[in-house]
Amino acid sequence: MTEELRKTYHEQLEAVRESIIRMAGLVGETIPRGTDSLLAGDLAEAQRIIEADDVIDAMSVELEESCYQLLALQQPMASDLRAITTALWMTAEIERTGDLMANICQATRRAYGSSFGPRIRGLIAQMSEEAARLFRLAIDSYAEANSGLAVALDDIDDRLDELHLDTIEAIFEGSREQTFEMQVAVQLALVCRFYERIGDHAVIMGERVRYMVDGWLPEHSGALRAKARETGMSGVAPGTR
Amino acid sequence: MITLLVILVVVLAVAVGSIVVGVRQRHKVNQRLDRLANRVSGAMAPASKSPVAAVKRLEAVMEARETEQRLRGVERRYEAALEAVDWGVVVVDETEEVVFSNLSASWYLEGRHGEAVVGQKIDDLIHAAALGERVSETVTLFGPPRRVLFVSALPIVDQEELCGAIALIHDVTALEQSNAIRRDFVSNISHELRTPIGAVSLLAETLIGEHDPAVIDSLAARLRIESERLAATVQDLLELSQIEHSRDNEFAQVVIQGVVSGAHDRVRIAAAQSDVSIRVEMPKQEITVRGDRRQLTSAVFNLLDNAIKFSNSAGTIRVTVREALAWVEVEVADEGIGIPRQDLDRIFERFYRVDRGRSRTSGGTGLGLSMVHHIVANHAGRVSVTSTEGEGATFTMELPLAPSESTS
Repeated sequence: MTEELRKTYHEQLEAVRESIIRMAGLVGETIPRGTDSLLAGDLAEAQRIIEADDVIDAMSVELEESCYQLLALQQPMASDLRAITTALWMTAEIERTGDLMANICQATRRAYGSSFGPRIRGLIAQMSEEAARLFRLAIDSYAEANSGLAVALDDIDDRLDELHLDTIEAIFEGSREQTFEMQVAVQLALVCRFYERIGDHAVIMGERVRYMVDGWLPEHSGALRAKARETGMSGVAPGTR
Repeated sequence: MITLLVILVVVLAVAVGSIVVGVRQRHKVNQRLDRLANRVSGAMAPASKSPVAAVKRLEAVMEARETEQRLRGVERRYEAALEAVDWGVVVVDETEEVVFSNLSASWYLEGRHGEAVVGQKIDDLIHAAALGERVSETVTLFGPPRRVLFVSALPIVDQEELCGAIALIHDVTALEQSNAIRRDFVSNISHELRTPIGAVSLLAETLIGEHDPAVIDSLAARLRIESERLAATVQDLLELSQIEHSRDNEFAQVVIQGVVSGAHDRVRIAAAQSDVSIRVEMPKQEITVRGDRRQLTSAVFNLLDNAIKFSNSAGTIRVTVREALAWVEVEVADEGIGIPRQDLDRIFERFYRVDRGRSRTSGGTGLGLSMVHHIVANHAGRVSVTSTEGEGATFTMELPLAPSESTS
């Protein structure tokens, strides 16, 4: 009987993991899809993506509910507990990534009819590819419980940050040369920020995966710095976070 | 006497003992055979002590085992057959538990990213099929690369009773692409041919009854431009058709440096007019391929012509020739406007244009890259493109090296 219960419990845990991967699949697909709609000025496609985000929201609510049930009914410990809390975090991060793509699709509507010029189009395409790559790697690290890959995500994100700066620069340039109006420039800057945030969410997912695998908490570095400041300790390198 | 009696009793005892043991053993064997027979036949056969019955039961067991092995063989064959098809196949029982899935389907069922989306779709459709519905859906994965998959699910009915469902997954990307090519070709060719014809007809109409020599001159000049444009399109179409039908038995040894220089000479004036500089880097040692010199020059010319058209003023085009194992690579890289990601796959199609609005200003026929593609394919090579919008495009032509003289 106990064994039967345990089996169901582990099956439930596995089902949560699978659902996260499937939800991430849907969100990951919206990154290139949303970018295509933005670059092609395809309003109908943008609208479809905005509506599909509701499905992702519903999935995240369902997943959250499953996690709460497991916590309440099974009272998991150690690695199982970490797996469930990580699942809760992952769900929120993936859902937020979906929201950011929906925001980009809303920008498609607002910037409709404007030409961005090839340089900005190219930079947006590159940011999208980089954001999609980071997101996929974050999901891979979760699916494989690969803490090495999870740690590397922070460094991989640097490329997206650089692209973000380049794009902002190109937007200023385009605005100066009056390639597009100020209103479009603001939308483009927001779009850039959304892609950059997708990268940040991927890095956070990596941190959560590290917690799941090794029990490492992201607050360790910040907490150490705070402690160092309090005690006036020297030798702790100031971090960027 | 007493000794004799004792011996007799011992012999009798041994004989009776052995008989008892034998009977017991036979009884045990019979019982095991019965159990085996029952397991196979599923019916309770009455236990019998007769050796004949035991042999019959043994035969039944052997027969059942053979049938089982034969059925397993058939099952394995069916499984291997389903494994061999390039479609994904998933079979579920009435409780929607997966009883079989081939490798291609497992890739989706246990996949991540885009595959996970297909996995979810398979589950959804199987659920509907297990309730007796025939369902299908097309799933587009945005990749990159972009893929289109057709997923269908049907209920499995045995003796008018639902006993599961089967889902089939088919990659229809190539089919979708060829449909799009066919669909766009018709609209593009009519655009490319009808536009100049329309212009010619309109100009001729205006010319009738016009007496002002200045206007007549201007109209005639434009008539000439439009007719030349039409002639160029027809000429390119004919050339493309010739390339498609050419045979490699007319091929000869061609030095690739000569081909590149020839093409470079043809575009010098156009490059100077557009204020574009071309830098050529070639190894000194001659590289030879087997092919048609005129066709290969035309391919490199078209790549250069394309690069000039889409370069910004004062831009640079780099042409690099390099040897890589058994291949020679001719790379043409520009710093122009580049090609959007979603158009990269279609750039070699006839009349395909990224921006139709530019077609009249760039002056091309829309067949140049298509010709490059066919020429390279004729020479057993391949052509590829990479690009970032706003940063330029790089076309790479790869051709197999000609076999050395000593071996040919």
